[in-house]
Amino acid sequence: MTRPFWSKFRQDLSLNENLVTDEALMHNRRKLLKDASRVGLGLATLGAMPQAGAILPNSPLNPRINAEYQPALELTDEVHAITYNNFYEFGTSKKDPYDHGSRLSTEPWKVKVDGLVNKPQTLDVDDLLKAHEQEERIYRFRCVEGWSMVVPWTGFELAALLKKVEPQANAKYVRFETLFDPQQLPFQNTKVLDWPYVEGLRLDEAMHPLTLMATGLYGKALQPQSGAPLRLIVPWKYGFKSIKSIVRITLTAEEPPSTWMKTAPEEYGFYANVNPKVAHRRWSQAKERPLGSFFKQDTLMYNGYEKQVAGLYKDMAGQNHFY
Amino acid sequence: MPQGLTRLKWLVFALLVSPGLVKISQVFSDSSLANPVEFLIRGFGFWGLVFLLLTLSLSRLEVQLRYPFSRLGRLLGLGSFVYLSLHLFAYFIFDASLSLAELWRDIVQRPFILVGMLAWLLLVPLAITSTPGWQRRLKRHWKRLHRLVYPVIALGIWHYVMLLKADMSWPLLLILIFALLLYLPNKKSKTANS
Repeated sequence: MTRPFWSKFRQDLSLNENLVTDEALMHNRRKLLKDASRVGLGLATLGAMPQAGAILPNSPLNPRINAEYQPALELTDEVHAITYNNFYEFGTSKKDPYDHGSRLSTEPWKVKVDGLVNKPQTLDVDDLLKAHEQEERIYRFRCVEGWSMVVPWTGFELAALLKKVEPQANAKYVRFETLFDPQQLPFQNTKVLDWPYVEGLRLDEAMHPLTLMATGLYGKALQPQSGAPLRLIVPWKYGFKSIKSIVRITLTAEEPPSTWMKTAPEEYGFYANVNPKVAHRRWSQAKERPLGSFFKQDTLMYNGYEKQVAGLYKDMAGQNHFY
Repeated sequence: MPQGLTRLKWLVFALLVSPGLVKISQVFSDSSLANPVEFLIRGFGFWGLVFLLLTLSLSRLEVQLRYPFSRLGRLLGLGSFVYLSLHLFAYFIFDASLSLAELWRDIVQRPFILVGMLAWLLLVPLAITSTPGWQRRLKRHWKRLHRLVYPVIALGIWHYVMLLKADMSWPLLLILIFALLLYLPNKKSKTANS
């Protein structure tokens, strides 16, 4: 790390969160209440009533169940998956994204796809949903901190979107970017991480059938704390690679430096593939605690997706791509 | 007995057990707690460190307010030790799965576990010698031995810093409190004005 750690929590004191919160929430609520079908949004209560509209947070979706991705694994309790999140834009405690997620307005939402592509375009999330059939897949999710979950994501393969924009021959990587808006994402006023959050994949990883653009969770549209309205899911990597609330996708020739790589390069690399035998600099990765459980279980190679993805890395034998 | 010391001891005792009881009852009553083990381990560790700092503050308070607060030292010190032992045992039971081999592997592979383990080990002789009997037996060596609480707190804060990913606000606050306590005098000065 090049900066002293104490610079990380220096907040912009001109934005006194407590004074602004009520107003911001009120503005958001008024904006949302204009459309009568959005009654449930903005109230930070569990079980907000879903209303009509394909992508309103928590609204019911009707994904096709993809039989190929229905492993016989115990699903994590939904309440854990939506109340225990790392989404530092809302705060660094696990409950902050759930508590403050209503500040994020997810409608309308545009995603810009650009860089080394023949057909750069800016898409509305509604268009994305109409153009790509949503399916439900049950995936393992493993956080670098040592906890894990098994959840049913709704989404479509990133490959389908990338094929539409036609990556050029020299495109080797895909860079993703989260929204930058300190009014809706208050911790973007602090320096705990560099903003906006950036992640990246190698093109073949992005085109892999496992890689998902997720729009829902447990059969309902994503809530802000889970990365509404659109997020990435790369199940064989540590969770910080699965960037949330995406606004931009860029095809590049060079490896894009990700936010955690910039924050602590000796601890977080570009690939972050799960491997129980390769420890984090400060803790072991051999075991993980499933959310809701008291006891740990063994972590699996590539988080259980070894058969599907190990081939992507066969030419990287000398390199450590497990961090 | 100085005015109200017994009542104060009961108050401090209540203060000591509250965070622990609240946390434990939350684990059993709140089924939406996604990571109850982390909640307990971090809770016990944090409060143990806070009560240790509070123990340090007793002699400083006594100097400033002229009341024998240091008589609460054994209660607070042992209370801290109980929290930190619960912290260690919760980790040993749920993280190391009650295996000494796992514990050893962690100590060797994870520097922050080594530092935490060291801090707790240094606290053990302090807990054992906390009785008046030991105070009499060790005489002036007792005072010197119990100065170990300073490196214990430093190691504890370092252990905390090492386990966090990015947001250092809480350990920073503890460091500031520690620094403030180090700055304040812990014995009455022998000048004519005291």
